[in-house]
Amino acid sequence: MKKLLPPPDRPAPVRLGEVQRMMAQAVMHPLGTRQRMRREQAAVASAIIKSNDRLSSFSRLQIYNQQYWWRLRDAVMDDFPGLRAVLGRRRFDRLVEAYLDSCGSTSWNLGDIGQHLEAFVGEHPLLAGLCPILAHEMVRVEWARAVAFAGAEEPRLDPQALASGDPCGLRIGLQPYLTLLEVSHPIDRILGRVKQGKRIRTVEATASGRTIYLAVHRQEFSVFYKRLEPGEFHLLAALRAGDSLEAACAEAMGKSGKRPSEFGEVIQLWFADWMRLGWLCEWAPYSRPTDC
Amino acid sequence: MAASRFTNGADYGIGIGLRIPHYQHILGKKPVVDWFEIISENYMVEGGRPLHVLDQILEQYRVVQHGVSLYFGNAERPNREHLKKLKTLTARTRTPWVSDHLCWGSVDGRYTHDLLPMPYTWEAVKITARNIREAQDFLELPIAVENVSSYAEFHVSEMSEWEFLNEVVERADCGVLLDVNNIYVSSCNHGFNPMKYVNAVPAERVAHLAGHTKYEKYTLDTHDHPVLDPVWKLYARAIERCGRVATLLEWDAQIPTFEEVHGEALKAAKCLPHEKALAAA
Repeated sequence: MKKLLPPPDRPAPVRLGEVQRMMAQAVMHPLGTRQRMRREQAAVASAIIKSNDRLSSFSRLQIYNQQYWWRLRDAVMDDFPGLRAVLGRRRFDRLVEAYLDSCGSTSWNLGDIGQHLEAFVGEHPLLAGLCPILAHEMVRVEWARAVAFAGAEEPRLDPQALASGDPCGLRIGLQPYLTLLEVSHPIDRILGRVKQGKRIRTVEATASGRTIYLAVHRQEFSVFYKRLEPGEFHLLAALRAGDSLEAACAEAMGKSGKRPSEFGEVIQLWFADWMRLGWLCEWAPYSRPTDC
Repeated sequence: MAASRFTNGADYGIGIGLRIPHYQHILGKKPVVDWFEIISENYMVEGGRPLHVLDQILEQYRVVQHGVSLYFGNAERPNREHLKKLKTLTARTRTPWVSDHLCWGSVDGRYTHDLLPMPYTWEAVKITARNIREAQDFLELPIAVENVSSYAEFHVSEMSEWEFLNEVVERADCGVLLDVNNIYVSSCNHGFNPMKYVNAVPAERVAHLAGHTKYEKYTLDTHDHPVLDPVWKLYARAIERCGRVATLLEWDAQIPTFEEVHGEALKAAKCLPHEKALAAA
């Protein structure tokens, strides 16, 4: 193959970064009516992309514009089928478009596409239709499911460390794949119906007025939803926040409404259950995704 | 040529892309497959089922990592956090080389998750080669870059795609993952002779060949089976030039049964030099 030589006296072409920025902005610009690229992108298209005998520069750029939106929308749809069932197709598409336009994808991993959706839906309740609280709770649970599916697992806590540690100073961590959630709708049951392709019942879409305490976790590489007792939830939440075992127990007992003798009995059962499930590990600071 | 510095001395035959719908079949039936290509990003996670399955695959099979988001052609330098995670995975898989695409895909930390075509300019040659070298040094593994299929050409381009590929791999001193299907797709979209491309590729740098059946939504929407014949011709010519190199069959959409994918992959064996010799004998 003949070796190419860079032409020495040609004027410097448009910089790579500039071409990429122009194209990326056009590609990530929301589609217009009938899923077509918006007319205002024609100038960018003709400035950077050649036409050929079959396709105009506009049509060629449109291919990438459409692929971007369809690919990312499908990725959100795959991860949030419950949200789609709650909102319906049209409202879901509108929400996702607004979300992607605002936050985009800031990770090389397409699986992270929904990491800011909880915050976004919380900040834009009007986009979530007639039931913004249900939609918000659904997003929280579905993101927790993604975390449970592929989140890290730390070495399980040695039962000896638990038995011999000083409760005043002992801090216990929870597995990173475990998420604790307070919700007002039976999201776990709604997701069960969605998985079976069934419609969401009105009674399920209506807030029950009582809090449901939910742990989203995995067992043998499958994701599960486990309902917790209030005291159990508060104890786990306090441990995750970094409270010592003693302080966490005191806080949980206060919120449980149980007498100390009663609480002492159930606490042993809870710990036995959590150890069996492998939820406990050494304590480490816990972080959650934030705004985009 | 089978084993070269671009394959880290490894001599691989015909492999197929590892896809989720085939997990159960592979783990249960343990079919004879020379190697599997995995999409690195699918396993660059902290834990759970993806890594559990990968570990089971690694107990039985050789694996080569192929990525979709390193974006060597980005004007920006490679993402260090991404490279760190990738390196952790390479230690787990013991992949002999790592491949990704000759394309770009993100700007200012915003990802398109697409394999966007390069403007074929001298500046892009320099930047892309720099990025590949940087990744190669960091990973301490040979890198092979894959040609992508494209639907657009830039006004600023100063050379053909194959000239660009040659310049980049020469300056980066890396291997080539030659995707003959992508050459065919691009040749249809841009009106060039695909054989000219195959003939121009630096044969000594080809680490492996790939061809795949892919649902193309746009300009090639019905080219599922019809593309196969011309693609096989390109593959045969590539083998003629490169010798016995690792070959991969990918099936990216509408994935059929494992047997069908595997059977399709084994058709490539007919083009391999030693198979031809056996047939002649």
